[in-house]
Amino acid sequence: MREDIRRPGGGATSSQHGHPDGEPGAPGPPAEPGPEEEPDVRFTLANERTFLAWNRTALALVVAGLGIVQLLPPFPGVPWGRHVLGVPLIVLGAVVSVTAYREWRRNQTALRRSEPIPQSLLPRILVFTITGVTALSAVVLLVSAVR
Amino acid sequence: MPVALPEDPEDLSPGTAAERTRLAWERTAIAFGAVGLAMLRGEPVAGLLVLAVTPLIWALGRYVSSSAPPQKRSRRLLLVTVAITGVVALAVVAAFIGHGLARFP
Repeated sequence: MREDIRRPGGGATSSQHGHPDGEPGAPGPPAEPGPEEEPDVRFTLANERTFLAWNRTALALVVAGLGIVQLLPPFPGVPWGRHVLGVPLIVLGAVVSVTAYREWRRNQTALRRSEPIPQSLLPRILVFTITGVTALSAVVLLVSAVR
Repeated sequence: MPVALPEDPEDLSPGTAAERTRLAWERTAIAFGAVGLAMLRGEPVAGLLVLAVTPLIWALGRYVSSSAPPQKRSRRLLLVTVAITGVVALAVVAAFIGHGLARFP
């Protein structure tokens, strides 16, 4: 069944995401939130797909963590090694999912008010955690090799 | 003379946005099923619980309607987040008391 999609109207458009040339960098007094109206449904659906994509990322992190804990052979001399690497990835899955929901709500509000979409925290969270787990892997491997 | 395309390709067939969203829901449900299958090996009860949630996620996606009221959309997405948080809780328990502990010296 084909859904009835409204044409883009006076709501948010991609041209509103960002500052036009010549706009001063320092904002003045905080602007009052504009009147809220339901955005073009295509923006709503795109926001929903972004939420779902982050949740699939969260599920992939859970599977990766479980794989490390349950499938890897134990590191010689480091009995806690698999848990130190796997459990943070599993917990990161919940963090990503909850943050994705908060950002979906925030983006939906911004779309309703025809405001720019706020920057997402999720890529930064993902980069820091994956870098941390990578560094921990190196530590666990080194400790395992030394023992 | 070439036909001028609209600025947004979706203007040719606006239904594709809804279709892509439905497919995204289906991919998410498949990912849930994959997590359930992965958990079955170490912790069968937890794996079965996650597999039981999979049809629910699938059903949520089937009823995606662009005309759904915002409150309903919000609740549906919250349900996905709650389900994933539950899966994480099960996975942490499985990591400590499931198959992992059996091999924990």
